[in-house]
Formats: sequence, C-alpha cells, structure tokens
Amino acid sequence: MNIVGFLSMLILIITIITIAFGIIAYFMYKAREAKRKRAQKSITYEEALKNENTTYLFFE
Amino acid sequence: MVKSIFIIILGFLLIILLGIVLYSFYQYYTLFNSLFIKLVFGLILGFTTLVVFRYMLLLFFSILQTIKKSAEETYTIDYTKKMPKISVIVPAYNEEVTIATSLASLLKQTYPYFEILVIDDGSKDRTSLIAKRFEFENQKKSLKVYRKKNGGKSRAINYGIKRATGELIFVMDADSKLSPDALYLLARHFEDLDTAAVAGSVYVSNRNNIITKLQALEYIEGLNMVRNGQAFLKAVNIIPGPIGMFRKSALEDVGLYDHDTFAEDCDVTLKLITKGYKIDFEPEALAYTEAPENLLDLIKQRYRWTRGILQAIKKHSKLLWNFRINKTASFVMWYMIFESIIWPVADVYVNIFVVYQSLVLGMSMFVFYWWSIFTILDMAGALYCVLITGESLSLVFYAVYYRLFFIEIINIAKILSSLEEFFGIQMSWGKLERKGNL
Repeated sequence: MNIVGFLSMLILIITIITIAFGIIAYFMYKAREAKRKRAQKSITYEEALKNENTTYLFFE
Repeated sequence: MVKSIFIIILGFLLIILLGIVLYSFYQYYTLFNSLFIKLVFGLILGFTTLVVFRYMLLLFFSILQTIKKSAEETYTIDYTKKMPKISVIVPAYNEEVTIATSLASLLKQTYPYFEILVIDDGSKDRTSLIAKRFEFENQKKSLKVYRKKNGGKSRAINYGIKRATGELIFVMDADSKLSPDALYLLARHFEDLDTAAVAGSVYVSNRNNIITKLQALEYIEGLNMVRNGQAFLKAVNIIPGPIGMFRKSALEDVGLYDHDTFAEDCDVTLKLITKGYKIDFEPEALAYTEAPENLLDLIKQRYRWTRGILQAIKKHSKLLWNFRINKTASFVMWYMIFESIIWPVADVYVNIFVVYQSLVLGMSMFVFYWWSIFTILDMAGALYCVLITGESLSLVFYAVYYRLFFIEIINIAKILSSLEEFFGIQMSWGKLERKGNL
C-alpha cells in the first residue's frame, strides 16, 4: 500500500476533525464562561425586592 | 555526550528530510492546470517560504545568541562588589493554592540584597493570610504583604513599584516559582545602562497530561527559543508575567504600567522599546508556571492573551510605520501582527484549502507535505532546545501531535478572539483556577 497516500488521507481526516473540534471547543468555552458569569452575577437590593415582589427582605 | 551526538545527528537528518519535502512541495505546483488553484497555491507557497525563513532566522539568531553567551566569562557572585537592591513585586489575586510555593522559591534566591512586596489585589480567599506567615525583615532581605482593593494586575504592580526601594524591579506571578539563581542571572544584565528590562525562561511545571506536555513543548520552542533569537537583536517583544526584571528608572520614565489593555506585560515592553531601551533575555533564569490542564482553560488563557496583545498593538499602532525613527519598535510591532493575526489566519486558511482541494480534486498529498514541513521544523526546533536546555528528549516526539491538533485549535481560538476584539465585544480578565501543581 502507498504509505504516503495513506498518511495523507489520515492527516486529512484528522485536519477536518480538528477544525470542527476547534470551533466547537471555542463555543463550548464561551458557553461555560457565560454560565459561570450568570451564576456569579450578584443583584442589588432593589433588584431582589423586585424579584420577590415585596417591600422588605429579611436576611437570616 | 551520547545524547548530544544523537540529537545533532537527528537534527541533520531532519534538515535533509525538510529539504526533500520542500522540494516535493514546490514541485507539486506544476501539477495544477486551473489558474485559480495555481494562484491560491502560489500564495501558499510564498507564505510557506516566509514562515520557513522566519523559523530558520529565529533558530539562527538563537544559535548565535547561545554561542555569544557561552563565549562570555562564567559569572560568580562577587560579594565585595556593590549589588543593586532588587524589589520583588508579587501581585496576587486568589492565589491561596500557589502563593506559598512561590514565596518559598523567592526565599531560596542566592542574590544577597532584595525586598519582597506581596500585593494582595483584594483576594477573596486566604492569599494574604498565607503570605503573611512569610513576613520577615533583616538588614539585607525582607518580605512584606500589602492588601489593597481589587483593581487589576497592572494597578497592583504599580502599587508595589511606588513602595519599592530597590533600583531594580522584579515582577513575578504568584502562580510561578523560580530557580534559585534567577534574580542574580537577571540582575547582571543591568550592567549595560541601556538595558531597561530582561525576560527569563518560562517552563511548564505540571506536565501531567497531553495538553500540558504540548504546552511544555510550546514554551521551550515557541516562546523561549523565539525570545533567545529576539535577544540577539535586543528586541524581546514581551517580558513574561512569571519572570521579568526592570530598571526602576526606565519604568518611571515610561509612566509605569497602564491599565487599558489585558496584556500589561506586552504593553509595558512596547512602551520601553518605543523609548529606545534595550530588552534582553536570560535563558538560564527559570520560572516554572502551572499551565492550564484542560482544553477550555487553555482557550480561556489564549483568549485573553490574543485580545490583550491586539489591544497593545492597536494602542501603539503608530509605531508600525515608524521605521525611520525607531526600527526596532516597528520590527517588533510587525512581528507581533504576524504572530497574532497573519499566521493564525493563514494556517487555518491553508488547512481549509487543502481539505477543499483534497475532497474536490482528490489531491490529498498536499496536506501531507504541508503538515510534514512544519512538523519537521518543530522537531528540529525542539531538538535544538532540548540540546541547550537539557529538557526531556520525549518532548521532541510531541511535535507530531503539536502540529496536528494543538496549533490548529489554538489558531482557531486566536482568530475567533480577534474577531471579538474587532467587534469590540466586552471581556473580563478570566482568572484561571489553579490546582497547585507547581
């Protein structure tokens, strides 16, 4: 079997997979950061009042 | 000795192989009939020649620099001579996992006269508590911990510089550790009064999986070898965060660190080069840093590096066409543009082109030649680095995976980050979580 031809095909397949994987990995990173940001986002007292639909908030 | 001979023979064989592959690659051009394909392929040929030339030139300069250094006298610490005082600044934010190791490595320094200023930049963990355990003061050395409101790394460093009493400023990351003679090896470069800063070598300490091993190869070959080559021209373009020494007066001359980019180390280096100062490199002063251990953390790190460097390039863009006034600054700027924009775009473009060409025209040999050229270059570069640094020979064989997966994924991340920077999408610092594998 032609070894160079085989290697060329192998590298080609890996290149296609790597390009696709590289793009997917980047958007996975962006999604992870957005999720972390949402989880860490603190809200103001006024926003908490609005969320709870009340005039007072009691902290234990 | 046997290892060195083996490396040299292997290096020669690789160079011969590179010549054969390059010849076949250029011969390939005659096979195309379509004018469009010929044109695209011609561009790729030109680009490949440019990259190979750049690589060879850096390798050549690096070899010259190493020869020049080995011809110098061997230094020993002369305690009778007046040594300049060094102020070591360690900016830290949430570094409870690594700060103790960093400070312990500083306390083992052979340099006789320095102060350590740990600047806790409003950490939410036990960073300052741990650092405070190391506080001490005697006639020649001291360690003091400062705590300030969170304001970013550049503000923390400036806070330290304003309190520093040394003539030389050494800045290191709190997630790094140093070789015992690092301060001494860096400080001796300041005997040249035109030298404003000296970078040291950065190595990966946590080589526990394929991602960190590939980064280890990237650090010795892509960063340290490149800096060694740049040092021949006294134009190192980035003083790395884990290990960099500055002349305090030069830093004051350029107005200390600015806060408007996410690559403050690159920005301050460019400011110094603009002012005409020399920037040097000391390959034997070593810092070990904890590299990201998973792919998403690695992308996170490169996202910040890419956008930070682009911000610094944009900020100093007037230097691009400044060849008559400051050749070094213009050269450094163009080099950075090549590294951060031209190379990633061209690499991904060529890969997409070869995929198209292989699938449509059935000429998949092209991808083999393209990959072989750069893998051989990487292996030759890695061999040289292994020879001069005494690193593990096994790193050389990672060059195969390095070109196949690693660079491609990093380049895609660089391109997408550059697009975000171009469209001005908001970003934050993106602190990496440390595992403590220093």
